[in-house]
Amino acid sequence: MKKYLKKIIIVLVIAFIGIQFIPRTYNLSDTIPENDISNTLDIPENIQLIFETSCYDCHSNNTEYPWYNMIQPISYFMEGHITEGKEELNFSEIGSYSNRKLKSKLKSIINQIDDEEMPMFSYTIIHRKAILSEENKKQIKKWVSINLNNISK
Amino acid sequence: MKYEVFTNSKLKFKTMSKKSIYVLAVIALTFTACKNEKKTEDHHEGESTEMHDISDGHHDNEGEHAEENRNNEASNDKNSATSAMVDGYLEIKNGLVSDDKIVAAKGGKSLLNAFASFNMESLSKEQHSEYMEIVENATEQAEHIVKSPIDHQREHFEILSNDMNDLIALLGTEKTLYQDFCPMANNGKGAIWLSETEEIKNPFYGSKMMKCGKMQKQIN
Repeated sequence: MKKYLKKIIIVLVIAFIGIQFIPRTYNLSDTIPENDISNTLDIPENIQLIFETSCYDCHSNNTEYPWYNMIQPISYFMEGHITEGKEELNFSEIGSYSNRKLKSKLKSIINQIDDEEMPMFSYTIIHRKAILSEENKKQIKKWVSINLNNISK
Repeated sequence: MKYEVFTNSKLKFKTMSKKSIYVLAVIALTFTACKNEKKTEDHHEGESTEMHDISDGHHDNEGEHAEENRNNEASNDKNSATSAMVDGYLEIKNGLVSDDKIVAAKGGKSLLNAFASFNMESLSKEQHSEYMEIVENATEQAEHIVKSPIDHQREHFEILSNDMNDLIALLGTEKTLYQDFCPMANNGKGAIWLSETEEIKNPFYGSKMMKCGKMQKQIN
């Protein structure tokens, strides 16, 4: 039994080292894209700052990576999260959305905040700064509502 | 690629028992398999962006256009090709009316199938670009309805209802439908839904407020 346990541990350690060589892709970009929210919608600084702090890691072309992203399989799962997040909503690509899509996304921002789904718990448990205060929520919802009305016109 | 991983591990761990090698191979395979799956997904994503770009030209007046359609009498063209879509939508609606998330999710799947099997060749050029925009958005809502708890399903159903209403205005339907309005949905701003029955059965609140809402117009 002890012999087996030793073997299993050796296998796990080797597997752990092995997976460190899985190539990583980073979600980073130095330019502000043409379709960025700042080029598309009228966005005041305070709202921009809230989005950057609480949403951008998964919903933009720029992720601020923590050190443990160097470790697999953490890096692998993080990559999955980011891909999924950007697919749902990407603040760096908002200009490419049709009005219909933009309206849906803005509505969903309000819904996600009201339902306390976003920023998600597994993210805020580490990124304490990303938690939205009641004031933050109010500001975002107000800004989103104004933009929703503008699009409808 | 899969073989490469296997042989490599075999070389390195010749001395280890067969069992350990299998364990390692399985771990390696799981990771390569996941990677491959990811790649195909990315590929699809690229495709949909391309399609999206084509429809870009219509952005500016799109919102206006949709509003117009909503206010006008719905198109009276009878189009049997949209029946499968309407059926899928109504299945979601009826699921939500009876507070049944599983039925609603099933309806979401039916709707996705209906979109996938719709023959777009019958559309004119203008219809095509508007159709693509509506269906891109509606598809996303339907995907969420398939996988979400009922509160989320209702949120996405609210957006989907607008899309379906515009789609029917664009393509027509052979079915008789009623456009109903619930003043409380959409954070108190009000929202429409489509129903096959004249009687009001509210999908946004289900049994909590079954009779809330009023019929706005009859389609066909």
